[in-house]
Amino acid sequence: MNGIEVTLISGRTARQGIGLEEGKTSQGYIKSVNEVSLCPEDAASLGLSGDEPVTVATEHGSVVAHWRVDKGLARGTAFFPYGPWANQVYASSTDGTGMPQFKGIRATLSPAAGGKVPSLQEIVESMRRAEH
Amino acid sequence: MKHEDVVCPFCGCLCDDLEVTVEDGHIVGVKNACGISRSKFMSHGLNRVSAPTVEGKEASLEEAVRESVGILSGARRPLVYGLSSTECGAISKAVELAEATGGVLDNTSSVCHGPTILALQQVGESKATLGEIRNRADLIIFWGSNPTEAHLRHITRYSGTAKGMYVPEGRKGRRIIVVDVRETGTSKMADQFIKVEPNGDFELLEALRATVRGVALRAEAVAGVPMDQVRALAEVMKGARFGVVFFGLGLTQSEGRHMNIDAAVGLVAELNRHTKFLLTPMRGHYNVAGANAVTTWQTGYPYAVDFSRGYPRYNPGEYTSVDMLARGEADAALVLASDPASTFPVDAARGLAKIPVITLEQKITPTSMLSRVVIPVATAGIEAEGTAYRMDGVPIRLRKLVEPTEGVHSDEEVLGMILEGLKGGAEK
Ligand code: SF4
Repeated sequence: MNGIEVTLISGRTARQGIGLEEGKTSQGYIKSVNEVSLCPEDAASLGLSGDEPVTVATEHGSVVAHWRVDKGLARGTAFFPYGPWANQVYASSTDGTGMPQFKGIRATLSPAAGGKVPSLQEIVESMRRAEH
Repeated sequence: MKHEDVVCPFCGCLCDDLEVTVEDGHIVGVKNACGISRSKFMSHGLNRVSAPTVEGKEASLEEAVRESVGILSGARRPLVYGLSSTECGAISKAVELAEATGGVLDNTSSVCHGPTILALQQVGESKATLGEIRNRADLIIFWGSNPTEAHLRHITRYSGTAKGMYVPEGRKGRRIIVVDVRETGTSKMADQFIKVEPNGDFELLEALRATVRGVALRAEAVAGVPMDQVRALAEVMKGARFGVVFFGLGLTQSEGRHMNIDAAVGLVAELNRHTKFLLTPMRGHYNVAGANAVTTWQTGYPYAVDFSRGYPRYNPGEYTSVDMLARGEADAALVLASDPASTFPVDAARGLAKIPVITLEQKITPTSMLSRVVIPVATAGIEAEGTAYRMDGVPIRLRKLVEPTEGVHSDEEVLGMILEGLKGGAEK
């Protein structure tokens, strides 16, 4: 698998804010948070093109997401807006502070050959299934 | 009908200059709002929870309240969480309810500026209102914060381009510096962008503090920033007439967390030997500052409060929601004005999916999808009035512009009904 190591940063975006006020079930919200941004060089080195999604994986978990290019990012840094997709890869450990680490996490990006970006419903279902 | 000076209930800027037009009980126009605010006002009717539900089935409000009372009175370690996107009356009721259940009360600051609070409790804070900053600040530093995406009107109303009494030139009279791990919309409009390595903020803050104090550091670069740049920044900071660091989650959610804020406070304290310097957290949810304020004046603590012994105890890391849920400690939850299933890391969200959850919400969210009981509520600041605290701690009165749908009550009223039920049960 031709993956690359990145430092993953989560954060807010205006699109996410606008989307969440339409509703978390709106396409505006979902599209604003189910994609990860990376720099053009990293996208090229992964051979990404078109609609093919990427797998974002950390020590803790992985998720398939859409991707977009952001020229403002340096090589080796990826940005994942706050939301149910990004949260699949973050650990719940807070080191006794109450706060999980949402920024500055080691992660691997790789092309999700044949993978599908889960829907919001599927993410919610997977949380529920974990109960049994 | 045109309403003037309407307050926007979205982010911690609490802009109070909106113009909202209401026709036939519907909002048809909003002026002066940013994109997010416009979406909030114009889309407030979209994707609403249409009726109370119990186990996914439609129920009457009475049934939903009764079920909620049953869940909470049967729980040994209930968690009351959220609070930051509603008004202070509801927050106060939630405190009462958490106390009545002997549970744990937490608000969203545990996953945003909780580390800020931890640090400020240790070392104090030098602060001012946004009005004072607008009128006086000639040096604005955004550190790990990005208002062009999260607080869209902050720069024009309070910090960057606003004309102030002693900064009559507006943008020209202020120097704007951004310190961040990546280029952002804010860094593009700044006079200077300083790129720090991810998780390197603590080192950079401490290096600046030492340099301001006059210590000659032998390093060539700190956290990816050349020492020349560190020395130059220290001089700019010392030379300011009135400087402010507006910091965001870039400091609280990266490695070091509260220690980063501790270092920032130390730097600002050092700078106050030379000039006037302040530190202001960019609070996200419009009333997260109010959630901290109300919880503090009623329990003595700002978040992560446990009532299981009949009196409030405070311990972030233990009574904070992510920890409680990831450990599987909470056995029921009441969530209002937030969506933890979307905002918590997956293990904590799964912890929520395992227990009975009561959600008070306007819209359908992943949390409401997981909940046993969902009760629709009115939107504070649009369909209900109340008070909210701006990011600088200034309380502002929210207005009611339109009537909620028939049968839909405010957060405070619904919490009051559940509380009555709990008290009634206790008396029997
Ligand atoms: S900046 Fe914040 S408070 Fe002001 S209008 Fe936009 S969302 Fe509302």
